[in-house]
Amino acid sequence: MIVAIVIGATTALAAPSAPSGLIGQPAPDFVLPAVAGSNVRLSEFRGQPVVISFWSSRCSDCAAQLTAMDRYYGTYRSAGLIVLGVSVEDDQQRAIDYAHAHAASFPLLLDNTKGVSRSYGIERLPTTVLIDRAGHVRFLHSDDRAGDPSYVAQIRALLDDRIGSP
Amino acid sequence: MNMNTTLRSLLRALWPLLLAAQAVSVSAAPPAPAPAPAIAPAPANAATGAASSPYNDAAAGTRALDEQIQGLKKDVVDLNKDLFVLEEELLFPANTQVAVFVSMDVGDFFALDSVKLKIDNNEVSNYLYTPREVSALLKGGVQRLYVGNLKAGQHELLAFFNGKGLHDRDYRRAANIRFEKGVGAKYLELKITDHQRAQQPEFEIKDWE
Repeated sequence: MIVAIVIGATTALAAPSAPSGLIGQPAPDFVLPAVAGSNVRLSEFRGQPVVISFWSSRCSDCAAQLTAMDRYYGTYRSAGLIVLGVSVEDDQQRAIDYAHAHAASFPLLLDNTKGVSRSYGIERLPTTVLIDRAGHVRFLHSDDRAGDPSYVAQIRALLDDRIGSP
Repeated sequence: MNMNTTLRSLLRALWPLLLAAQAVSVSAAPPAPAPAPAIAPAPANAATGAASSPYNDAAAGTRALDEQIQGLKKDVVDLNKDLFVLEEELLFPANTQVAVFVSMDVGDFFALDSVKLKIDNNEVSNYLYTPREVSALLKGGVQRLYVGNLKAGQHELLAFFNGKGLHDRDYRRAANIRFEKGVGAKYLELKITDHQRAQQPEFEIKDWE
């Protein structure tokens, strides 16, 4: 019994943290180069809700995800919504080509070292992270249901939030 | 080890104070709006009862509580400052400390994108700048790009500057300096300036003696 508990505890400690463990936690900050334009630092958007969509050219659902994010961005950007696409790509040039082919109106960023995707514990694509105005992760989706109405409801909830006092 | 013990004891001392500050903040949370008094307040000429009226007592109590909260907040800020200084001293003692700063002047001929720093051929920093950070540098800000430890003796610092030059062309330049690390802290400054006559940016590493 004790051995089982010890083994269980050791396994739990050794296992990588699940992405859902990020919910309610401060979103890990990062600065990444954009495919077009200047570098982007997440913490500079504190006070605005941010949606981060992790994508790759190898992921068949990512194009639809990026299109949906582009639609949300078009609708809610005037309300202060920020959308960032982060590439999880081995081949940099391939990521750039893909970004040019799927032009989005929001910044598409290149995670060269994959440090950002590691810090967010990305295990599958597409993954979308919704961050509130205070910089905390509120929702995390690892699915291809970008057209799901729950996305709109969650984005609206983030936009309706007021920033908490520090 | 001794510093660690000091840090721990300081944290232990800080903890009850933080809890107390939190408790006071909670107790001082704005109460629900009080209902309008059923009885009209006494006229102003009733001077004898004014000093001990419940309204004045409540106001004085709130003021005292507010002063207490401000005092506690100040103590917490002071302790936080002490902890920061202690942490700096612990992690980067003056006899081994090396700090590298970045400053920028004018910036007509160069738009900074990133700086990579190598000390003794080891990469110690690779910093990407956002337009807001570049704007802060152009307004006179100085950024501490790197702080670390080095043993006394000869060292070499190599800085690579990436960005855009005139006509939006990619621009990459390097600058290096050999410096002697003595017993005191060493401060180096990476200065980016415009050379008006050459219509080129200049990259200089200044050793603050």
